[in-house]
Amino acid sequence: MNARKTMIAGFTLAGLMGCAAVAPAQLVEARESYVKSNDGLAAQLTPTELYDAKKALDKANKSFEESGDTSEVRDYAYIAHRKIELADAKARTELDRQKIAAAVKQGVTVRDMQVKATTDALKSTRDQLKDERTQSAATTQELQRDSQAKSAELAKTTAQLEEEKKARLSAEEKLAGAMKDLATIAAVKEEARGVVITLSGQVLFASGKHALLNTAQTRLDQVADALKQQDPNKKIVVEGHTDSMGSDAVNMPLSVNRANSVRDYLVSRGVDQSRISSVGLGSSRPLVDNKSAENRANNRRVEIVIGNSAVSAR
Amino acid sequence: MSKQLLAALAAVALSGCAAIQIPPERLERTQASVRGAEELGASGVPAAKLHLQYAKDQTEVAKKLADEGDERAILVMARAEADAELALVLAREQSTHREAMEAAEDLKTLKARELP
Repeated sequence: MNARKTMIAGFTLAGLMGCAAVAPAQLVEARESYVKSNDGLAAQLTPTELYDAKKALDKANKSFEESGDTSEVRDYAYIAHRKIELADAKARTELDRQKIAAAVKQGVTVRDMQVKATTDALKSTRDQLKDERTQSAATTQELQRDSQAKSAELAKTTAQLEEEKKARLSAEEKLAGAMKDLATIAAVKEEARGVVITLSGQVLFASGKHALLNTAQTRLDQVADALKQQDPNKKIVVEGHTDSMGSDAVNMPLSVNRANSVRDYLVSRGVDQSRISSVGLGSSRPLVDNKSAENRANNRRVEIVIGNSAVSAR
Repeated sequence: MSKQLLAALAAVALSGCAAIQIPPERLERTQASVRGAEELGASGVPAAKLHLQYAKDQTEVAKKLADEGDERAILVMARAEADAELALVLAREQSTHREAMEAAEDLKTLKARELP
């Protein structure tokens, strides 16, 4: 009787222990792992695999409820845990695949932008070059026109200078000719006050008179020709001189009148009156002393001075 | 012969000298997963390598149990299959992760390229 009670108690105890059995570590770990996965990536990205894992875990739990801690329960728990880990690993892989796809897509966009930027830059450079070429062509044309204009101007100036030179040479020749001719009828001397043409009083005037002799006109025509060849800037002064015979009251007006007569004639022969003046100096400037008749004759003269000053000074 | 002896003999007869057959498709799947994991370089990924080894070891244990007629061979084979699948997925995860890192680096380089 006692043995039987013990056995019943033992069986009861055993039965009770079976219902309140502690879950094996594999099952506890599998359950915890599932809870964690269900809150994480796997739930979003690999729900199918997580569901398979849940089914495996349910199988393990059911087996444990029915049989307690058995090797079968541990095997089911082991398998469930592996399936949970698999769901997690697949979720991480899926996340990486999404990152790869996003990177590829972004890369395409970036490349497109870079190609566009490069194309735009090339187009801008091409347009710039085109503008520069156009500008350069315009500048070249302008420079050519400028150069042509300057060449034409230079040619014109050169021709002008040549003409002027010819004219100057011609004038100089004429002047030289005229002066040479003049030297045959008058004394021509270069002095500090200018070129001095000396005409003897007796070939121009009758004694004591101031009217020109007819024969004087031929000589004065030559003088006029020579004067007209001269530099128009040079002033001409006609000076009347007498010897010392007679008083100043006679000689001075005589010399003035004689100078005037010569001046007037030269103007009538074309010498510009604005550049020619006359002055009477009486006997104040003898060439030589008045002691001999010859000397006095020399002192009686008209001097035509071609110089720069209005009144010639000795 | 005693009743006890007869019962024992019957139990032996019933428990079987006959081997258990592991479902062939399960064995094939496991072996395919093992090959796949190895080709993906599981030996270079510590976690994958571990589960690969578990898969191989448990396959052998399952075969032995099956030869012995132990029904537990089925569940052990199921464990091996689960380990083999996990090893394959872990190897693939490493490979894909490497690709993702390279893609990110390539994008960074591309963005850093100087534009005219």
